Amino acid sequence: MHRRTPLALAALVAAAVLSLSACAPSTSPTPSGSPDADSSVVVRLALEPTNLDIRQTSGSALDQILIDNVYQGLVARTPEQEIVPALASDWTVSDDRLTYTFTLREGVTFHDGQPLTPEDVVFSLTQHRDNAGWVDAGTLANVTGVTADGQTITLTLSEPDSQLLWNLSGRAGIILKEGDGVDYQTAANGTGPFTLERWTRGDNITFARNPAYWGTPAKAAEVVFDYIPDNQAALNAALAGEVDVVTGFDANLKTQIEANGDFSLVVGDSTDKGTLAFNQTSGPLADKRVRQAIRQAIDHDAFVEALGAGKTMYGPIPSLDPGYEDLSEVAPYDPDAAKKLLADAGAADTTLTLTIPSFYPPTISQLLVSDLNDVGITLQVDSVDFPTWLTNVYTNHDYELSFVLHTEARDFINWANPEYYFTYDNPQVTQLYTQARAATSDEEAAKLLAQAARIVSDDAAADWLYNGASVVAVGTNVSGFPSVNVNERLNVTELGKSDG
Amino acid sequence: MIRYTLMRLALLAAGLVVASVIIFFTLRILPGDVAQLIGGTNSTPEQIAAIRDRLHLDAPLAAQYLEWVGGVLRGDLGASLLTGTPVAAELAQKAQITLPLGALSLTIALLFAGPLGVVSALRRSRLGGTVIGVGAQTLAAVPVVWAGMMLVVVFAVWWGVLPAQGFPRDGWSDPGAALRSLVLPALTIGVVEGAMLLRFVRSATLQAMGQDYVRTAASQGLTRTRALIRHGLPNVGLSVVTVLGLQVAGIIVGAVVIEQLFSLPGIGRMLVRDVSARDLPMVQGELLALTAFVLLVGFVVDLVHRLIDPRQRESAA
Repeated sequence: MHRRTPLALAALVAAAVLSLSACAPSTSPTPSGSPDADSSVVVRLALEPTNLDIRQTSGSALDQILIDNVYQGLVARTPEQEIVPALASDWTVSDDRLTYTFTLREGVTFHDGQPLTPEDVVFSLTQHRDNAGWVDAGTLANVTGVTADGQTITLTLSEPDSQLLWNLSGRAGIILKEGDGVDYQTAANGTGPFTLERWTRGDNITFARNPAYWGTPAKAAEVVFDYIPDNQAALNAALAGEVDVVTGFDANLKTQIEANGDFSLVVGDSTDKGTLAFNQTSGPLADKRVRQAIRQAIDHDAFVEALGAGKTMYGPIPSLDPGYEDLSEVAPYDPDAAKKLLADAGAADTTLTLTIPSFYPPTISQLLVSDLNDVGITLQVDSVDFPTWLTNVYTNHDYELSFVLHTEARDFINWANPEYYFTYDNPQVTQLYTQARAATSDEEAAKLLAQAARIVSDDAAADWLYNGASVVAVGTNVSGFPSVNVNERLNVTELGKSDG
Repeated sequence: MIRYTLMRLALLAAGLVVASVIIFFTLRILPGDVAQLIGGTNSTPEQIAAIRDRLHLDAPLAAQYLEWVGGVLRGDLGASLLTGTPVAAELAQKAQITLPLGALSLTIALLFAGPLGVVSALRRSRLGGTVIGVGAQTLAAVPVVWAGMMLVVVFAVWWGVLPAQGFPRDGWSDPGAALRSLVLPALTIGVVEGAMLLRFVRSATLQAMGQDYVRTAASQGLTRTRALIRHGLPNVGLSVVTVLGLQVAGIIVGAVVIEQLFSLPGIGRMLVRDVSARDLPMVQGELLALTAFVLLVGFVVDLVHRLIDPRQRESAA
């Protein structure tokens, strides 16, 4: 008996494995079929939120899934960055741009069944403005009063703010239930088309269609966000038919995912800015010629080619944001000019250190090392984890060169803030930005921002290695997945799957 | 035996105390802090200060350590800084994946290493034995990640018979589905760990074959193989029990990598996530639990060893 046990066990396990494989479902759905109202769509995302408290926890991983789908504001934005009505059915702006009047929709309820009242709106907006610890609290600083009269909500401002509607369509404008008892860290109570059904930390977040939604109901009965950090694992999951959509896809793996005909790659614009920051407070980078030389030493086309998607970028504003213009003439690729600039600056043989969070592809540092080496700069790469980057680079400004992908839309404010880790300080830019915010028309605001952006680029305040793309592999039986800027906002109301 | 058990228990407790000190203070050397992560890249120093204050991060380290250890002694491992979830509850949830994964891996490793190890020792001068020996040597050198990828490509992507990643969202409510999702990860760890174990079994068997009692048995008319099986293998088994403790530690390390690769929401993946989020109460709770588990396995192995090995019992008496 004693000797037979391992054999018997081996036979048992073998039998178990065989019987398990026998009941495996058929993989990969067929691409045809009619839309299925009961479908569950699985979407791969890379970056999981640390917790779900939308009030106090920063990070685009939260905005990406919670805003529009679970939480809503008076207004929302389309992927094309247009402001559209949400909880407010319409609004008017006074001629002096100091008073915004919104009409609040009737019959809206929160996910727990409580009705949305005008008092909830007043509560949410004032809380968000007054709690310094809440994310984006500063963006409502100009709002002096929020009042409700029936279904009419009035916001009064101390000075015109061309960014107000934009900010109301983001974190700062989210409407919560006054006195809500929900544990915001692990649960949610919003007014959106989806309810947060489940969060299995370290694995997935599941949304269920909100049957009591005030607007057009969501197409899918359930949307599962599957957090798979590793790109290869995500590809395998897609090929094995376990996910329907893969976001943040490596464009270089295009042929692999399209090979079986179940997926196609969709590439859209994004506001992702691959930013090479220069600490210009001291050392060689305090010299504008050195910074300009680095910019001209970098072959931006090579970056776009290596990443397989995206566009070149030569200034702080991406093409989706107001104030964008093509600034390629400011720092064209020219290694000879770069060498000359370095010689003029007496920095012909310099060693610099690049601090880069370890989750970015090694291609980025490799290309930088090689480009800078060609003009005589030795680049040492210090790959660190993100918390270390936050402390050393972001908080202590202890770095020379740093790379981070800044994903947020309309974040030009960081160039107008000398305290930011960019260490860029130009009073003219700060003033232009202030004027842009106070502008009385969008066109004027955009013009002022464009001027400021040109100065930032002229000063070689940083280099922008590329403007990333939203690369998404979408199952051929899936419809309605957004294609633009999905790293920042991912509205899945229209997402549907055919029953195939 | 009782004296030995008590002494061994005291050693276990001392080990845990030392581990708790090392875990707590080395984690504090890590750069970066959770307040900064919560605040993100658009936060002001005031916002960070407010978060630090809210999470009580500014107390002296010694006081924080004592508070933690005090909690652990009362059975409270603390709570996540990010979500407020009790560490013990998260551990219990994730253990439902990691423990079965570990047990399955160990079973596979033993099933594959035991018989093959003995066979390769018995046939060491023949082709079969050499093939097994070289094969094990090669497998032991294979990176776990690569082995996992290969298994996924073959079983999930090509044949589509097993899931490529993930665990059923309903957990073990469908045991078949849950088990299916553990097969490839467990095979990956089991094969690589088993290859190492195989080499151990092989050398232990070879050693047993050279022992006097086997030779004596053989001289009394048993074939060499029979002599080994009857008299040598119990001793090989003893040595294997001894390395099982180490094997368990190896499997836990393997689980950290494998859970990442297969997107299994177990303790290993939780550990990686919490370290990168600097959720230190979670990390120290997880590490302490894992350390306690490994120490406990060592403790049990020692006791079992003593119980089944007459020589040790006698020397202790």
